[in-house]
Amino acid sequence: MTVRTVLELPDRSLKTLTRPVGTIGATERRLAADLLETMAVSPACVGLAANQLGVHLRAFCVDVTGHRKADSCHGPFVLFDPVVLEARAPVMMREGCMSVPDLTGDVSRSSEVVVRGTTPEGRQLTVEANAFEARAVLHEIDHLDGFLFLDRVAHAHGVHRRRRYT
Amino acid sequence: MQGFALWAVGSDRPGMIAGLSGAVASVGGNLSDCSMTILSGQFAMVMIITGPDALDADGIERAVAPAVAALGLTVEVRAIELDRPPEARSVPHVVSVYGADRPGIVHAITAALARAGANVTDLETRVVGAPEAPVYTMMLEVSLPVDVVLDDLRAELEARAEELGVDVSIHAADSDVL
Repeated sequence: MTVRTVLELPDRSLKTLTRPVGTIGATERRLAADLLETMAVSPACVGLAANQLGVHLRAFCVDVTGHRKADSCHGPFVLFDPVVLEARAPVMMREGCMSVPDLTGDVSRSSEVVVRGTTPEGRQLTVEANAFEARAVLHEIDHLDGFLFLDRVAHAHGVHRRRRYT
Repeated sequence: MQGFALWAVGSDRPGMIAGLSGAVASVGGNLSDCSMTILSGQFAMVMIITGPDALDADGIERAVAPAVAALGLTVEVRAIELDRPPEARSVPHVVSVYGADRPGIVHAITAALARAGANVTDLETRVVGAPEAPVYTMMLEVSLPVDVVLDDLRAELEARAEELGVDVSIHAADSDVL
C-alpha cells in the first residue's frame, strides 16, 4: 500500500474522464489499497476517486465511519465501475473536497442512492446508502465523470472559503 | 418612484453597517434592498434607500458624513429611479467557471453570455490556492431567455473556456417550490 498525493485544482487530471476497469487484477487491487490508505491518512477525508490520485480509472473509496452526519455506514469500501441504479430525495448541504482545499460549496444531492459496482475481490456489490454516505458516494462518482462540486453549486453565493483555525 | 443608492467601501472593521444605517434612519431613510460583503478585506456595501419626498442625496450624504469619517469609509449617494420595466420571460441558471487564474476570464465568459442575451443577476469570484499557482473560481447566476438553446450556449461557453484553459459548466438553478 502506498499513500499517494491527492491532486488539487488546477490539475487537469481532475477534469479527465475515467475509463472502465473491467476485470480486476493485481494492479486494480493495489489501486484499491492505495485509495483506502490515502483516505485513511488524510484528515477528515471520507472518500477519494482514482483520478484524484492521477489514475484515470473508474474507482473510488468511501468511509463515513463515525461521521456525525452519517446514517447508513458500510465502513471503508472500494467500488470499481460504479453504476447509480437509484437516486432520490435531494438535500442541500455544504460540502468540501480534498482537491479544492480552500473552498466549500452548497450542493443539492440525492440523500438515498443505490449503487452497484465491483469490489477489489471481483464480486458484484450493491450498496444502499443514505444521508452523508449517499452524498459521499455521489461526490466520488462525480469525480469519475470529471465533475467537481464547483459544477454542482446551487447558486452564485454557494461557494465559501473554508475556515482555517490555528 | 425615486430612491437613492448609497455605496460604501472601506477597510473592514466592526460597526460599519450600524454606523451607516443609523445615519440613514436619522433623516427618515428606509433601507430597501441591501447587499454587503468583504472583498479582499475591504468592506463593500450597496444600500437602496427610500424615504420622504424632502429626502435628497445631499441630505443623506450629510447625515452619514460623521460615520464615514469615523469609520474611514468612501461613500457615494445618488438618486435613482426604482420603477423597473417588466422583465422578459427567462429561466435562472448557474454558471461555474474555474481553473488556473489569468486575466480576461470574466470578460470572455460574460461577453459570451451577453451575446446570447443572458443577463447576469449575481456574480461571485474567488482566488484561492498557492500564490505560485492561483486558482480562480467564478459563480454566476444568469437569467436565460426562454428561446436560448442551452446546448448551443454551453458549446459557446466551453469554446471560450478552452481558449482560456479553464473549465465551465451551466445548469438550471434549483427552484423547488414547496
